[in-house]
Amino acid sequence: MSQPSESITLAASPGSVAKKNQGPPRRLYKGWAPYAFFAPFLLLTAVFTIYPLFNAVILAFHQTNGPASRAFVGLDNFRYVLTDPVFYKALGNTSIYALCSVFIQLPLALGLALLLNTDKSRAKGFFRLVLFSPNLVGQIFVGILFGVLFTPRYGLINQAVQALFGWGLNEQWLGTPSLVMPAIVITGLWMWVGFNMVYFLAALQSVDRSLEEAARIDGANRFQVFWHVTLPSIRHVVVFVVVTSIIGSYQLFELPLALLPVTDGHGPDNSGLTVILYLYDQGFNAGDLGLGSAVGWIVAAIIFTLSLLQIRLARLAD
Amino acid sequence: MPKIENFPYGKAPFWLGVLALGSLLGVVWVQYGGAREKPDLVLALSAPNHVAAYRAVEERFEREHGIKVALQLVNARALTTRLQNAMLAGTEVPDLAELPADAMRYFGRGPLKDIGFVDLTERLSAEGYRDRLVEARLSLWSTRGHVFALPHDVHPVMLTYRADLVEALGIDVDTLRTWDDFAAAGQRVTADLDGDGAIDRYMIDFPSGGSQGLSIIMLQRNIGLFDEHANVTFNQPLMVETLIWYLHQNYGDKRIAYDCGWGQSLAKAMGDGLALFYLAPDWRTGLMQTEAPKVAGKMKVMPLPAWEIGGRRTSVWGGSGLAVTKRGRDPELAWKLAQELYFTRGELGRRFAETNIIPALKEAWDLPEFREPNAFFSGQRLGTEFANLAAEVPPLWMNPYTIIAENRMNEVFLRAVEHYKQNGDTGLREFVQAELDDAEAYVHRYIGRNVLAKL
Repeated sequence: MSQPSESITLAASPGSVAKKNQGPPRRLYKGWAPYAFFAPFLLLTAVFTIYPLFNAVILAFHQTNGPASRAFVGLDNFRYVLTDPVFYKALGNTSIYALCSVFIQLPLALGLALLLNTDKSRAKGFFRLVLFSPNLVGQIFVGILFGVLFTPRYGLINQAVQALFGWGLNEQWLGTPSLVMPAIVITGLWMWVGFNMVYFLAALQSVDRSLEEAARIDGANRFQVFWHVTLPSIRHVVVFVVVTSIIGSYQLFELPLALLPVTDGHGPDNSGLTVILYLYDQGFNAGDLGLGSAVGWIVAAIIFTLSLLQIRLARLAD
Repeated sequence: MPKIENFPYGKAPFWLGVLALGSLLGVVWVQYGGAREKPDLVLALSAPNHVAAYRAVEERFEREHGIKVALQLVNARALTTRLQNAMLAGTEVPDLAELPADAMRYFGRGPLKDIGFVDLTERLSAEGYRDRLVEARLSLWSTRGHVFALPHDVHPVMLTYRADLVEALGIDVDTLRTWDDFAAAGQRVTADLDGDGAIDRYMIDFPSGGSQGLSIIMLQRNIGLFDEHANVTFNQPLMVETLIWYLHQNYGDKRIAYDCGWGQSLAKAMGDGLALFYLAPDWRTGLMQTEAPKVAGKMKVMPLPAWEIGGRRTSVWGGSGLAVTKRGRDPELAWKLAQELYFTRGELGRRFAETNIIPALKEAWDLPEFREPNAFFSGQRLGTEFANLAAEVPPLWMNPYTIIAENRMNEVFLRAVEHYKQNGDTGLREFVQAELDDAEAYVHRYIGRNVLAKL
């Protein structure tokens, strides 16, 4: 066992490279080459990540008219956002969507993954592609598509609901405040269930079958095997998918914008407004990058807290 | 000959370096290289049908001035937000921009000095254009008493209707002089035709969420969201009455309206006769001609019913305007192109024939093209019909707070709908008034925190 690892060490050692490529230029390369390779990354990160983050902190305490004019307003931006009923409406809508993601979307994704995770399933590849494919087209396309499907009287969803339940042909899914969020959730399900299913399927395929087999021999039924063996085996992937789903939900932007174009993504009575749309409105439609930055920091704090909570809970469960 | 293997750290970094260098050279070539001729004037616009309409002027202007003009078609949202940021950040901007109706809400937010367009106020008066244009249309492009764009159009609103069905139902449109007459006729013809419990024929297509439909009705009654000084004007007793009227047309037992939507959905509704009447500014009649060819020859137009006998028979919906940027290469040359595009009388006639859009230059309205019968609208002289109403269009003041006020008005309407569904008319008037008070307070709070507009 020791021989291969030794040979790998030798092959990868800088000394061996230096012996092979001798001469002064090589020694120079050895000095600056790593920094040269890192430089573009560091430069881009500094320009497009570190500087904007730093600037966003400063901006959050200013009122701005785009990049041209700014006036220091102290904590007024935060005060305004935290007392704006429209922000709370947006936060409420986004939280509902996040809850639906976790409690409807992920169980569905896991269920589909379990269905496809059988050796007998010949059509596994086909269904995996079919269920994943909505993700290939992007949220804008999906939003436009579902905007047509939800058309009163003529839309496919309205006609299907009418045929199945004898109700809903003339329902304005995208024009009735109480139906807008269900419409967004349905659209989100179509788009993301397949995507999350791929994660779960990959995790399920790495579960030790001998453990499941042993549980079955010990008399465990299918649910018990899933609950006590399979689910604990994939818990790290579950935590990852839950955390990324929550983060993704709080970043929801393009889908309502494309689904509700007449109201710029707001929907009637702001029923489709999300926190990122609210940020976009303040920062870009109204041109107040300061207020937009304040919203951004508040949203970042919310996402950070939720993610931290989620990870802590998962560790407790371990 | 050096070998790739001799490159420090082997082949992969070598090829990565080649890719990086290639990309860099590509970017430099795209930006500065090639044999492309750079235009002398750039006009950015968002309406595809305007591009075709401006080609003839563009070519003539190029010949006369020996320059190259480029028309850049840009998405309306991109045009406003990116142009605003480019102007404020000091990056490259087009010489002229044809702006959508809500543009001043983006560009008028900060101090006057930040507005990146040439102030046309004095120029319009000195060169005599002010009297030749529909004065109300300058409202879209004005802030704090300064005009920053030329109005492209008037966009008076009429009703289009399925003449074949309306006449078959025995409705004489000449008797629909007021909205009360209209609603009464609507209650007679709105019906479930096949007995399945769902209504199959409505009198009119109105947006059920309020939005543009309510706005048109409000403006017809001279209720704008703001006046020219950005004072809130929507909180008034007439607004309460108008909102409740609109609500009654869309909800409840006496409902006569259906929301037919846009595009294919609208075309299908028109073809099916789902609604008999449709709100139609001049530009929408052009869209109907292209999107609903099935009803060609079956449609007609009529003025809006008035709110009282002798009252205004039109309203307004939308608009475009041409602005000259301050940081363009030659604002004087750009102004000349703007004049050619918007004030060349013969061009305006041809443009109307292509788009049905009434220009803001009043002297163009008696051109022969405006008197041509339109086959789609049953041979009516569409230009004359719209031009007869064009001078009456109400002003539509636009400012940075308009979007907030519009959103709040939609909220007020939808909350009133919920109240009506639960309580009927009981307490509705008081509820709407309280909601309007809240909406006004909200808008005032938003206006109050804009310290930059006061600079």
